[in-house]
Amino acid sequence: MTRSGFLKWLLGIFGAISLAGIVYPVLRFLKPPAALSGAIGQVANVGPLSGFAAGQLTTVAVNDQPAAVQNLDGKYTVYSLICTHLGCVVETAGDAFRCPCHGSEFSPTGVATRGPAKLPLPTYHSQTQNGSLLVGPIDLSRVPYPGWYKGEFS
Amino acid sequence: MSISADRVPQQTPSETKRRKPGLVGWVVNRLGMDDTMEDQYNRVVPFHATNYVYCLGGIAFVLFLILAATGIMLAVYYQPTPDNAYQSVLTLSTHVQFGWWIRSIHRWSAGAMVLLVFLHMLRVFFTGAFKRPRELNWLTGVALLLITMGFGFTGYLLPWDQKAYWATKVGTDIAGSIPLIGHFLLVSLRGGEQISAATLGRFYDLHVLVLPALILILLLGHFFMIRRHGISGRL
Repeated sequence: MTRSGFLKWLLGIFGAISLAGIVYPVLRFLKPPAALSGAIGQVANVGPLSGFAAGQLTTVAVNDQPAAVQNLDGKYTVYSLICTHLGCVVETAGDAFRCPCHGSEFSPTGVATRGPAKLPLPTYHSQTQNGSLLVGPIDLSRVPYPGWYKGEFS
Repeated sequence: MSISADRVPQQTPSETKRRKPGLVGWVVNRLGMDDTMEDQYNRVVPFHATNYVYCLGGIAFVLFLILAATGIMLAVYYQPTPDNAYQSVLTLSTHVQFGWWIRSIHRWSAGAMVLLVFLHMLRVFFTGAFKRPRELNWLTGVALLLITMGFGFTGYLLPWDQKAYWATKVGTDIAGSIPLIGHFLLVSLRGGEQISAATLGRFYDLHVLVLPALILILLLGHFFMIRRHGISGRL
């Protein structure tokens, strides 16, 4: 192989690597994220509906993350139990949320009512199917700004 | 069905002289553009112009190409309605793979392009490159500067957050303060007396349809005139 031929090959290889560095992110970009594709995403079955007493918060684990299921006359809402202040696990008592770290309290709809936390508890997408509760990703329509719920895209 | 011999295009003299090999040659041979291309490639940059301040316009054009490419990609996810605009930008930045990257490139390149176009203008001004016979290219350049700033102004509203809203409020108020035509400009930009869904639609239209078409036409003229005039003489 001649010197110029070798250099041409080298240039081609570096060019191909550079091109791949552009093409790869573009292709990944075009693939719609699960949260947008209409699918519920990674679905976790958190158990039969009979396990969630009406008017009560029942703690469950959604993909190893602490969460609580609220049953308001057959309307099920799944709240994340990660405090929006500094990320402690929020405790539930009856239908109320209270964070043991700094005393933040949240109303039964997840809105911060007392203490240092300002933002509401995020909720998960969820649906009932065959008497079970299926839980998907965090409901993005309640995310107030990028990076708030870090667990979702870390 | 075969093509009769008399309908086969005749080869141009330059083509018979030297046929270029390769894929590019295949096209060039068929267009008879050998001489034109050769002329473009063989231009010598004058020594006084081998200086970084003579690169500013070219850098601005590269930034424009980057902005066009990333802008097309952003439009895949962006939704220009008041209900969805903010959320779609948010989703783009947090959930779409490399979305934050594409958006950041667009954002930073936009700021850099305004700066580079302005610095390019300063170079042309202080080297006297706007003088006869290049006045028309100077005027084209002024229009390109204004279009670039128009891109910045209209693009700023699209995330539809508080900063975007109030920046547009102030900007369109300034347009409204012009005597006689001010009010017409204001309602034309806003699509009404107040900033609303119509404003977002109009700004989106300007940002992705009107201004890109204008800038492409003017860039073509700008570059054509540079080739026609050549680079201006030294100081």
